[in-house]
Amino acid sequence: MSQSIINVENITKSVISNDNELSILKGISFNINAGESVAIMGTSGAGKSTLMSLLAGLDQPSSGTISLLGSTISEMDDEQRAKMRSESIGFVFQNFLLIPSLTALQNVTLPMLLRGNEDQAANELKAKKLLAEVGLSGRETHLPTQLSGGEQQRVALARAFVTQPKILFADEPTGNLDQKTAKTIVELLFAMNKEQGTTLVLVTHDPELAKRCQRTLIMNAGQCQESA
Amino acid sequence: MKTNKMIISWSWREIWSGQLWPVMVALTLIIACVVALSTLALRVEKVMTNQGRDLLAADLVFRSTNPVPEELVDKAQAAGLSTSSQSRFQTMAFSDQNLQLVTVKSVETSYPLRGSLTLRDAQQSAQKQVKPGELWLSPRLFSILESKVGDTIAIGDAELAISGTIEEEPELAYNPFNSIPNVFIHSTDLDKTGAIQIGSRVRYRLFINGEPTALAAFQDRYELQPGESWGDQNRESRAVRLMDKAKQYLSLTILMVILMAAVTLILTCLHYVRNRSETVSMLKSMGSSRAWLRTWLTTQVLIMFISAFVIGSSLGLLLEYLLRVPLADILPQQLPSIGVQPFLFALGVALCIGLPALLIPLTRLLDAPAINVIQKQAVTYSKTSWWLLLLPFTALVVFYGGNKLVWMVLIGLLVLFVVLAGLSYGFLQLLGKIKWGAALSLALSRISRAPKNSMMQLAALSGSLMLVALIWLVKSDLLGDWQQTLAPDAPNVFSINISPEQQQGYLQALDQAGLPHSDAFAIIRGRITKIRGQDSAELPAYQDPEVRILKREVNFTWMEQLPDYNEVIAGDWTGKKTVSVEQEVAQELGLQIGDTMTFEVNSQPFTATVNSLRAVEWQSLKPNFVFIFSKDAVADLPSTWMVSFRAEEDQTPLVNELARAYPTVTLLDLRTMATKVQSLLRQISWSLTGLAALGVVAGILLIFTLLRLSLSERKREITLYRTLGASKKRISHTLWAEYGLLALSGGFVAAIAAEIILSALMIWGFELSPQWHPSMFVVLPVLAIIVVFISLRSVIKGLLKPLR
Repeated sequence: MSQSIINVENITKSVISNDNELSILKGISFNINAGESVAIMGTSGAGKSTLMSLLAGLDQPSSGTISLLGSTISEMDDEQRAKMRSESIGFVFQNFLLIPSLTALQNVTLPMLLRGNEDQAANELKAKKLLAEVGLSGRETHLPTQLSGGEQQRVALARAFVTQPKILFADEPTGNLDQKTAKTIVELLFAMNKEQGTTLVLVTHDPELAKRCQRTLIMNAGQCQESA
Repeated sequence: MKTNKMIISWSWREIWSGQLWPVMVALTLIIACVVALSTLALRVEKVMTNQGRDLLAADLVFRSTNPVPEELVDKAQAAGLSTSSQSRFQTMAFSDQNLQLVTVKSVETSYPLRGSLTLRDAQQSAQKQVKPGELWLSPRLFSILESKVGDTIAIGDAELAISGTIEEEPELAYNPFNSIPNVFIHSTDLDKTGAIQIGSRVRYRLFINGEPTALAAFQDRYELQPGESWGDQNRESRAVRLMDKAKQYLSLTILMVILMAAVTLILTCLHYVRNRSETVSMLKSMGSSRAWLRTWLTTQVLIMFISAFVIGSSLGLLLEYLLRVPLADILPQQLPSIGVQPFLFALGVALCIGLPALLIPLTRLLDAPAINVIQKQAVTYSKTSWWLLLLPFTALVVFYGGNKLVWMVLIGLLVLFVVLAGLSYGFLQLLGKIKWGAALSLALSRISRAPKNSMMQLAALSGSLMLVALIWLVKSDLLGDWQQTLAPDAPNVFSINISPEQQQGYLQALDQAGLPHSDAFAIIRGRITKIRGQDSAELPAYQDPEVRILKREVNFTWMEQLPDYNEVIAGDWTGKKTVSVEQEVAQELGLQIGDTMTFEVNSQPFTATVNSLRAVEWQSLKPNFVFIFSKDAVADLPSTWMVSFRAEEDQTPLVNELARAYPTVTLLDLRTMATKVQSLLRQISWSLTGLAALGVVAGILLIFTLLRLSLSERKREITLYRTLGASKKRISHTLWAEYGLLALSGGFVAAIAAEIILSALMIWGFELSPQWHPSMFVVLPVLAIIVVFISLRSVIKGLLKPLR
């Protein structure tokens, strides 16, 4: 039996908007095992992104508990959660979020730097290997502005995997790409995921992309349901 | 260690590609300006102090109408101060051919303690001291006395052979009524002249040199008796007053340049923070701690400060050198050393402004939440770093606390910003009510839709334009005033002691020689004895050491009409037995129109009523008087006459001829001095113009940054318009109309603001009469439009590139 890596118990999230309390998540519970790939789908405003930001420890739930790798992150403070993210979590974003003033190679080595890996030569070697894996050999010194959208997302993939995270969160990773490029990125994402045995949590509107995951959670009006 | 290397190289990239470079440019500009201007100010100040002392012939001078008390000399020597004494008096000098009234200065061998005395003998060799038995004459005396080196001249009872010419002497007097040709003799020959007798008018001076603190202590310990006074370089020359204004202008310019650079700094930094909050959120999402982010930002700030300091200091020194080039003739070859003071000052200023300007927005950057990478959320920024604002304010209070000008500018800026930005916004609102073309209507509606933003832009635009205008106008008005002082046709020779019988003939001689001259003025020497019937010695003003006019003889004159270069500021030039008084003296003595004053000339008392007060420009070389009487009041009193005229260099023989034809008339030839002062003014003008140009550059840089930033922030909005199908032409017309309107109203507002602050500065700061500059109402809006056009052309082009 696989080990639970993310455990969510009865979490809620509400915000105050114009003096009214707005309930975004209404008592959600589920479990994700290590190595699983899970897609979160739903209509706009259903609470997908809110759920993902809570799972990744970017925000705190209003009630309920979230455990990541056996630690209750819903009880951690900002700095502790940041440490947890740097050690165990990788991200891929819809709008890539590369640092414009850093080269492709430096963008990839950045998470290791944040983690405290100070051996620059070793970091660069690793980053180069990953850049080669995503097909960007020879583009190491290029700045994000010198790369196409697809290439920028490939750099982002290399950056996400460089620390060998236990969990990878991907927020609409193909949302800003054309179909052909999107396909390449999806292939790469799943290939690397398989190779590293990472747990993948993916927010998407794309049913085809969701189908590639082992499980799909459907969000609807703040509630969550496992898809059949 | 390697991490640091990576952070450092990343920081460099952030600075160059991440739009932080304008922050560094602004910091560099602040440091360069402060280093350049404070170095120059320091150098000029040192040179001026030295020159002031040269003019005085010592660090400190004790003056008395009685012989210098021996006890004072002993005390000075006991305090480790060096001294030299001088006695001076006026007497007739006789040669075999002629006679002339001269001022005899009898000095010790140690004279002068400061400044330079150059005496040239027949062999053309120069000596620096007067020795016993010698007699040195002013150059003019040779022609008047028709004598040459070696001839014997009688000075009172003493007969001395002429040793040579006085080529250069300290203690140059600038007062046409006191300056009679000088001769130097040694103090050991003083008794032989027989000039010192009971009742003779001899004035004594003790020159003292020493450390400033020792001098001050010495001065404090001695209580002045009637007839005694101190002279130090602060209250001596008119040149000091002139340079004081130049210095005030210098500090005003420094402040304005710093102000503009600081605003550039804050604007660019805020822009950087807006641009980089996403990056920080991303770094946080990847798990970076606050400590790491702090290191990252601190490295950037440190790099910027260190580079700005190194580049700024070098640029500052270069700039100071360039500003100094036009001053080469005034400044001595061997410049006083400046030490590290300007650099420390520049660093201090940069820190005081840079730390709050950089750290407040950058700390806010630390508050950017990690969740923003997925969902944009409103952020509540912490205000913990706002205490940094105390830095510049404390520094301002400490360093500029007593500087009226600075506070005037700062408070004026603040009030005008609020009032005028509001006014011009109202004006734009009013324009919005009129029907215009599509582009203008759109532009006007955008301005009124974002009132806060538009007001900020207007305030910043008009504020910086106003500063630029102020720097330039203050310079022009100051220079204008100085130029007027010494107009190219100003009189440069004064003839005094013309007897009433000689007057007609003398004026005819001037006409015949073709020398342009003033009217002849009667000179009557007398004293003020009563004001409103009260004895002058009983008046409160008599006790005021600054008010000397009650204790000395004054030159009176009478006129049919007041001179047109004196402005009557109160009363009228009418009535019988009346007198017109110079306004500052009237103020000192508490005089009002209608007050009666009693005067005494040759023991003859007479009374006159004050009928008017006049403003007098003392710096000009035109004949001016404190008291001008109506003819009936004084015309019967014994008088001599004075006339001033202008002689060019090649007309010297004519002047000499005049001197020979009228040997009893004293000629005061100010030609060398006038040329010297004129060239001094010209050189200072050049430097001030350079300085003003620097201020203008800083201002334009600010406007440039401001406009480019404001437009680049509208990228998203413009992309949206394009997506919605607005034509390039429509967008570019709207943008041009919007910024054109801002420039126009900003320029107009700046002109009004500059005029108001300028008048305040001129009246209370520089003590000059304010002038209006109607041309500013055209120049500033046009300048604003030109700057807008230059700075926005490429940005608008970039924004309208085809959509991708």
